[in-house]
Amino acid sequence: MFIRMIAKAFLRQWKKMVMIAFTIALGASLATAMLSVMMDVGDKVNHELKAYGANISVVPKNASVISELYDIEDGDVSGEYLAEDELGKIKTIFWAFNIVDYAPFISTEAVLDEGSTVTVKGTWFDHHMALPTGEELDAGVISMRSWWEIIDGDWLDEQKLGSDFCMVGTGIAQKEGISAGQTIRLKGPKAEKDLTVAGVFDAGSDEDNEIYVPLDTAQEISGLEGKVSSIEVSALTTPDNELARKAAEDPGSLSVSQYETWYCTAYVSSICYQIEEVITDSVASAVRQVADSEGQILNKTQMLMILITILSLIGAALGICNLVTASVMERSQEIGLMKAVGAHNPAITGLVLTEIMCTAVIGGVIGFFAGIGFAQIIGHTVFQSAIEIRAMVVPIVIVLVIVVTLIGCIPAIKMLQSLRPTEVLHGRA
Amino acid sequence: MSTLLELKNVSKIYGDLHALDHVNMKVEKGEWLAIMGPSGSGKSTMMNIIGALDKASEGEILLDGEDIAKKSAKALTNIRRDKIGLIFQQFHLVSYLTAVENVMLAQYYHSVPDEKEALEALERVGLKDRARHYPSQLSGGEQQRVCVARALINYPEIILADEPTGNLDEANEEIVVELFRKLHEEGTTLVVVTHNPEVAEVAQRTIVLRNGKVDHESINPDFTGKIKHITLQ
Amino acid sequence: MNKRKMYIRMITASLLRRRSRMVIALLAIAIGATILSGLVTIYIDVPRQLRAQFRSYGANMLLAATERTFTKEDVDKALAVIPGEEIVGVAPYRYETVRINDRPILAAATDMEGAKASSPFWKVDGSWPASDEEVMVGKNVADTFRLFEGDRISVTYRPEDAGEEDLDNSVDLTVTGILDTGGKEEDYIYMTIAMMEELTGEDRGFNVCEMSIASEQSDLSGYADRISADSSVLDAKLVKRVTQSETTVLGKLQALVLLVTIIVMLLTMICVATTMTAVVTERRKEIGLRKALGASDRSIINEFMGEGLVLGAVGGLLGAVLGFWFAQAVSMNVFNSSISLMPWLLPATMVVSVLVTGIACLIPIRSATDVDPALVLKGE
Repeated sequence: MFIRMIAKAFLRQWKKMVMIAFTIALGASLATAMLSVMMDVGDKVNHELKAYGANISVVPKNASVISELYDIEDGDVSGEYLAEDELGKIKTIFWAFNIVDYAPFISTEAVLDEGSTVTVKGTWFDHHMALPTGEELDAGVISMRSWWEIIDGDWLDEQKLGSDFCMVGTGIAQKEGISAGQTIRLKGPKAEKDLTVAGVFDAGSDEDNEIYVPLDTAQEISGLEGKVSSIEVSALTTPDNELARKAAEDPGSLSVSQYETWYCTAYVSSICYQIEEVITDSVASAVRQVADSEGQILNKTQMLMILITILSLIGAALGICNLVTASVMERSQEIGLMKAVGAHNPAITGLVLTEIMCTAVIGGVIGFFAGIGFAQIIGHTVFQSAIEIRAMVVPIVIVLVIVVTLIGCIPAIKMLQSLRPTEVLHGRA
Repeated sequence: MSTLLELKNVSKIYGDLHALDHVNMKVEKGEWLAIMGPSGSGKSTMMNIIGALDKASEGEILLDGEDIAKKSAKALTNIRRDKIGLIFQQFHLVSYLTAVENVMLAQYYHSVPDEKEALEALERVGLKDRARHYPSQLSGGEQQRVCVARALINYPEIILADEPTGNLDEANEEIVVELFRKLHEEGTTLVVVTHNPEVAEVAQRTIVLRNGKVDHESINPDFTGKIKHITLQ
Repeated sequence: MNKRKMYIRMITASLLRRRSRMVIALLAIAIGATILSGLVTIYIDVPRQLRAQFRSYGANMLLAATERTFTKEDVDKALAVIPGEEIVGVAPYRYETVRINDRPILAAATDMEGAKASSPFWKVDGSWPASDEEVMVGKNVADTFRLFEGDRISVTYRPEDAGEEDLDNSVDLTVTGILDTGGKEEDYIYMTIAMMEELTGEDRGFNVCEMSIASEQSDLSGYADRISADSSVLDAKLVKRVTQSETTVLGKLQALVLLVTIIVMLLTMICVATTMTAVVTERRKEIGLRKALGASDRSIINEFMGEGLVLGAVGGLLGAVLGFWFAQAVSMNVFNSSISLMPWLLPATMVVSVLVTGIACLIPIRSATDVDPALVLKGE
């Protein structure tokens, strides 16, 4: 009988039930979409912030200062270098998955035809790597110098063009009258080579007075085969906290469990530490300009999204609550009648609750999927990638819908219980 | 006496059901008519059609010599407003308005609300001291008396009452019946739809409906049209 | 009593005496309006607030000398081009090669407060130099010379015109801080401008001026062009790495907030509408009664809409205030700064609330007036 009454209620009141289900679906979709976006926004913004370039720089242990200092003096001291064949190891560290990009650099001086001396940097442009993990990666300055403006020609496509090409900074290009397509001769300390200019770039920095060539070309003219002088690494990191700061000072000062937490969290300092572990005689340090700012902006964005999510959750909750109250109150007449024919309060409460809960479940399920849709719209429109739906969203939305619907029923049920059938039936309520 | 309302061959058909089946009927000005019949005989349909609340499927309805059967919904609304006073079994008072405000509501739609006049109308039904009460604070009888006041406030040509005593106890029933008697005395045309013989008995004439047709008609031989002595509280 | 008075009396009666229902309706509208005004405020104010956050990436405009150097006056003239409230930090630098223990080191002289503001990511172990006698050294320099906070160093400088027999200029300075940036700044030592003048014996002006300005990229390049055009000694350039990336990332974040705002608003408005619909649907009988009493559809719509509009306006007002409060709370929590008040948002929120309420009420009212009053009164 109970089931029959509920079925009847659905049939008779399908319009109202549809409206309740619709509102609950709206609320649930709002909650799902906002929670999903909120939980994923950190990762997404982190990727976007990679536009600022490397947040970790790796240099040889001993040579760093001395070589540069002596450079000023006489310009010819062979410092220490990092080994090129170790570069692949960066993608094997614990947080390898968080390393999105990196590029080695080697710097040398070369003389142009006209006799002027320029700084030549060898690097990867879009170096293709097949990693032991089976992963494939294109790494290099094309993605790590996203702010470079190519004012003539195009990016040097290493995979297509090979190593006999170069890119020239706008400062040199203007001074020497170099344009794309032209061939220039670079005379290095050990060898000289003819290179075709693939493009001219405007970096808005000192790099405008440098020439960029593929790594092996620079090694060849400088005679530094198999060596690199620095590596820039772009990694997804977790904003620093107290523990990370303490570890950055000295990992040895941590207790074993602290060390484990630190090592297994993608702090910039733990990634640096892990890079030092795999690259022989290296010092990896955070580029504070990028690393610190990144953390700050990530934190702020996440905080902002959390607050907006809280607001929309409250909005959705109150909205559902309200509608449930309104639609149950609307049925006072029918419920007065049920009381008149002898239904007890618990029976009526049970009936109303079951009805509303069935509606809530239907609405909630529809809303959940609609919410995933909304999240994907946001993801694709803003970040051009899908939003990952975390498993955590499901229980949160379920609990939210149930609790909110129940709360919405409370005032209505209280009112229904205090109804006196005669009043309702005589139209006095 | 002239004819106020005349039904000629009026039918109301819902699907296969002939709720009214070629009914002919006349109501004279100033007449007090009761319409009786068992459930499903077409009483309510008749009431709705006379009250311009619903349209007939076929036939002519002459009110004041004017055929209202083919009028638009808007025109029917105006007819209700100007010529008809309605009293319902369920009272249908607006719950958040006081008694006097409920009466004024009818004035408001008809012409201009006049609180003094509305209070006078309540005084006529013996509710002057309850004018500021809400429907929920009034007894069933009192609520129905407010409805009567509301129905007569605009001096309608005809007052239609649909089971006016259906929700009332005997004492209140008597009070309402006395009110009708008083209205009749003053020359108001009254049509009362009821299945209560006691209420029908006091009318001048009774029409009995059965299966959507006029089964028979009877004139009340004892009808005096005089007011009994009762005191309204 | 005239019709208007009765109209007002009916509406107030309905609003005040049907309290529980009206509270529900009002709550629904106020929630909608709060979300509307709150999110719109955030959306409009977020770029400004976030732009300030992006200043943590440091200088986004560089003033370089076209000749050799430029003076403080040149910098001040350039700054006059930029609206004062957009300037976050200005740090002019003068670079000289000095010697410590006979080894050449690059020394930078700057305004410490300016450097702190324009390069907020600099991490100093110890403290910034507070007096002319103090110096801050880069981490690499500190490592090379085994310098620690509190050490005293002797810095020497050989003027270009010094003769063979002239002694180098020399000053003794206290190291107050070690600078850690992860960049080339770690190879420098930093001293005050006055100390550099004392050491070199001359005021040679500045080589570079770093500026951190919280403006949009288009404004920024406008400022740079104006500065370069106005001055014969200055060449203003944008730091592409910072400005370009900021435009990209900020654009994404703004798009994110916009989309979220639209979706949340849309869903909330519909939610408000369904609640209003439920509240009005409950009064079908009353509408039927009014029709039976001879009310025209128009006057019924007028009365119910009147009520709806009052609710919409009050709810909108309430929501606008709450929304501002919410946006303020967000701004204080996230950005530690106050939100800018947008007075036009108050009437705008009220208008939208009134419209949404109106439309939401109109649907059930229309459906009730379309039905024959007899059917409505009989009860479904």
